[in-house]
Amino acid sequence: MSRLMRTSEVIGRPVVTLDGKDVARVKDVVYSAGGGAVGGFTLAGRGPFSGPLKQGLSWSAVMALGPDAVMIHDEDVMSSVTEVLDASARPGGSGGNVLGSEVLTDTGILLGTVVDVILEVSEQRTCDVVGYEVSASEPLGTHGAKVFLPLPVTLSASGEHVMVPAAAKDFVAHDLAGFGAAVQAFRKHLGGPS
Amino acid sequence: MLYTQVKGRKVVSTGTAETVGRVADLVVDPRSRTVVAVTLRRSGHADTVLWSDITAFGTDAVTVPDGQVVKDANHAVKELSGKAHDVLGKRVLTTLGEALGSVSDVEFDPESGAVNALVLPSGDVAGSRLVGVGPYAAIVHAG
Repeated sequence: MSRLMRTSEVIGRPVVTLDGKDVARVKDVVYSAGGGAVGGFTLAGRGPFSGPLKQGLSWSAVMALGPDAVMIHDEDVMSSVTEVLDASARPGGSGGNVLGSEVLTDTGILLGTVVDVILEVSEQRTCDVVGYEVSASEPLGTHGAKVFLPLPVTLSASGEHVMVPAAAKDFVAHDLAGFGAAVQAFRKHLGGPS
Repeated sequence: MLYTQVKGRKVVSTGTAETVGRVADLVVDPRSRTVVAVTLRRSGHADTVLWSDITAFGTDAVTVPDGQVVKDANHAVKELSGKAHDVLGKRVLTTLGEALGSVSDVEFDPESGAVNALVLPSGDVAGSRLVGVGPYAAIVHAG
């Protein structure tokens, strides 16, 4: 069973070892080269006011990203934060710095602005960017309402705009529970891998 | 037998029939999933009885052969005792990073010391699922 989650909910989640120690908190999500998947995390100290850590966590070192914690085997699996960042996305992928970007269809219609990035953690331990939570503009329905917009496997993003196929607006979901099916249906519609 | 029921229970020497102390805590080794020692509430610094030194874990008293078995905690027990390793009240996380609630009690076998189950408000978690106990959480295999 795969699980969908907002990136904003992942930030701040404790990083816990199998010995039951919380060694860090997630400071930020780092996207992999290409941007369509999570490559790792930058970390902060355990306390709410702790600063950033020199260690980072690459996705391959993560045992599980759960609703309440990020599980790792032990502290030794952490690597240097520069290593994690170096392996990450250059601007342009679906992850990256997209919050506040305008979502435009390839036919030139503004669908809204990105307020959150939706991740899908699969049973095969992949963690992909599958959609955005979007503050909707008129073509998507009620202006200002927050809806979930599925993404194709690859797309272009500039920091100002992200471009999606026009069909994306036909696969919008209004809650996370129904969003997994919408992503699958949309990607099937595009003919790509689901 | 439940952890909360044995807290405060008398520990009696079968040799002298004297009370040598009262049960303060059980020391659980998450690797072997067993109770490896009992710590006592008593004056003086020696306060630990290894499980192997206990004669019986009875419903009214814990019996030991004599007061000599109450010793200073050895290295292995020290590693596993203290607030960071207390199981009672600890939050429980699965290996998939899902919180199940807090441990309200621990059910163990009074013969072998095996941890049979962690008792949670949401239901029991089999002791065989226990992976580790640390300052933040007790970790259990996802069911």
